[in-house]
Amino acid sequence: MATQAEQIDKAPGRWARKYPELGQEPLPVTPYIDPEYYEKEKARIFKKQWLYVALEREVPEVGSYKVRRLDCADTSVIIIRGKDNVIRAFHNACSHRGNTVVTETGQETYGRNRAGVVTCRFHGWVYDAKGALVNVPQEERFYSCFDKAENGLTEVHCDTWAGFIFVNVDAGPVQPLNEFLGGYADHFGGFDFAACDYGFTYHTTLNCNWKVASDAFAEAYHVDTIHAGSFPNVFEGPIEDVQLFGPHRTCSVRLQVDNLPQTPIGDLANQRSRGSLAAQGNASSLPPTLNPNREADWAFELSVLFPSVLLHVSEGIWFTHQFWPISHDKTLWEGKYYLNKPRTHSELWGFERAMVLQRNAWLEDTATMEDTYRAMLSGAKKVQHLQDEEILIRHNCKVVDDYVHG
Amino acid sequence: MFTLCPAEQVPADEPLRVVLDDGHAVAVYSWNGAYYCTDDLCTHGEASLAEGYVENGEIFCPFHMGSFCISTGEPRAAPCSVPIRSYSVIEQDGQLLIER
Ligand code: FES
Ligand code: FES
Ligand SMILES: [Fe+2]
Repeated sequence: MATQAEQIDKAPGRWARKYPELGQEPLPVTPYIDPEYYEKEKARIFKKQWLYVALEREVPEVGSYKVRRLDCADTSVIIIRGKDNVIRAFHNACSHRGNTVVTETGQETYGRNRAGVVTCRFHGWVYDAKGALVNVPQEERFYSCFDKAENGLTEVHCDTWAGFIFVNVDAGPVQPLNEFLGGYADHFGGFDFAACDYGFTYHTTLNCNWKVASDAFAEAYHVDTIHAGSFPNVFEGPIEDVQLFGPHRTCSVRLQVDNLPQTPIGDLANQRSRGSLAAQGNASSLPPTLNPNREADWAFELSVLFPSVLLHVSEGIWFTHQFWPISHDKTLWEGKYYLNKPRTHSELWGFERAMVLQRNAWLEDTATMEDTYRAMLSGAKKVQHLQDEEILIRHNCKVVDDYVHG
Repeated sequence: MFTLCPAEQVPADEPLRVVLDDGHAVAVYSWNGAYYCTDDLCTHGEASLAEGYVENGEIFCPFHMGSFCISTGEPRAAPCSVPIRSYSVIEQDGQLLIER
């Protein structure tokens, strides 16, 4: 009788055998550098699909709101928790003369008003958390054709899954969020994301197409080379457990257990708190869908939540990379890393060390992106060659292209 | 005399809205070791002042951030210009009362 290990296809070309529909041919560079292609991505993906914009805990109380700028959809959205505890989302645009209602201080703006309202600072129009226009200073001076009841905020579709808030700015009816997420939601839904209530964030704006940035994190092939400094031979280049869920995808990244760095400081830190991916962990926080066979070399799940979020889950850790297109050649990258709140100073110290390791790795990752993009612009290379373990990138290229041409 | 509420019900950090027996709504404040009471409705718009916040003895309206003195009801910050009514609060056997 064959053992399970023998049944797993590890030979080169295995993902192409599993997903023959994705092909094996080199893929064109044009979608990365063509401004017209980006305009279609905006119209058919970013303005039509669900986008992860906030965590429920970012709007914890009645009247808490977050404003998320969405250059990729030519807008910014107010996500606000109402007196009925329902979270709704609206374009941040005033019905009077179009000013932003909440004055934004950056890509993400947070605030709270106990009355559950937002006020436009230009002329003081006030809207409640259901979007209704509740106060217009000097209302009597408007003409009889003006109707307050018809001039609320413009609502956008908003729904939540596992503590994540999504919006869809399409003005028409849209696919329900749970349908859009499909099997991806089942795969990750058992993980308690809210339990990781402590974290850190890095972000920067990169002069590259969003797919260049996203691709650079969507394979482990690069680890041996680019992370030779921060994670020397710590992770396997080949990925395991690849699964495609409609436009989304996932895989697991494996440790080279024998090569885990052993330094006096690192050992001390890992004994106290597992904050870093480059350390073995047990599976106390993992649902059965993640590392189903509880294999000792399983490091973390690397997944892509279409269109532009990479979600990673590991024992007691989860993190996202978000790639927000600003234009065809400019991308805001945000890395957000979450852990369990440290209970002791030594746990905190262990996490701080993990944070520095992660920062170094992310600096190494982001460092290639602008170079890659500049070289793409030269036109010297018309195609890119993906190997079998870069299957997640191939899937993304196919899915994006289907939307753009579909 | 109108009974407002037990004194301990007034949070230290935010005002409390109380509807009196005659249906009139007031805002009750605990500030700097004393209790204050004003009308709840802002004179600039239809906002409940109890949903605003108190700073330096002033209640800031949640709609346009105008303010009133919680002791005298005088407007302190624009766009508010018409005073609100204020009431002196009596504490009796742990209950707060006002005259109206
Ligand atoms: S533009 Fe918002 S109140 Fe005038
Ligand atoms: S409604 Fe109170 S300041 Fe405008
Ligand atoms: Fe990397």
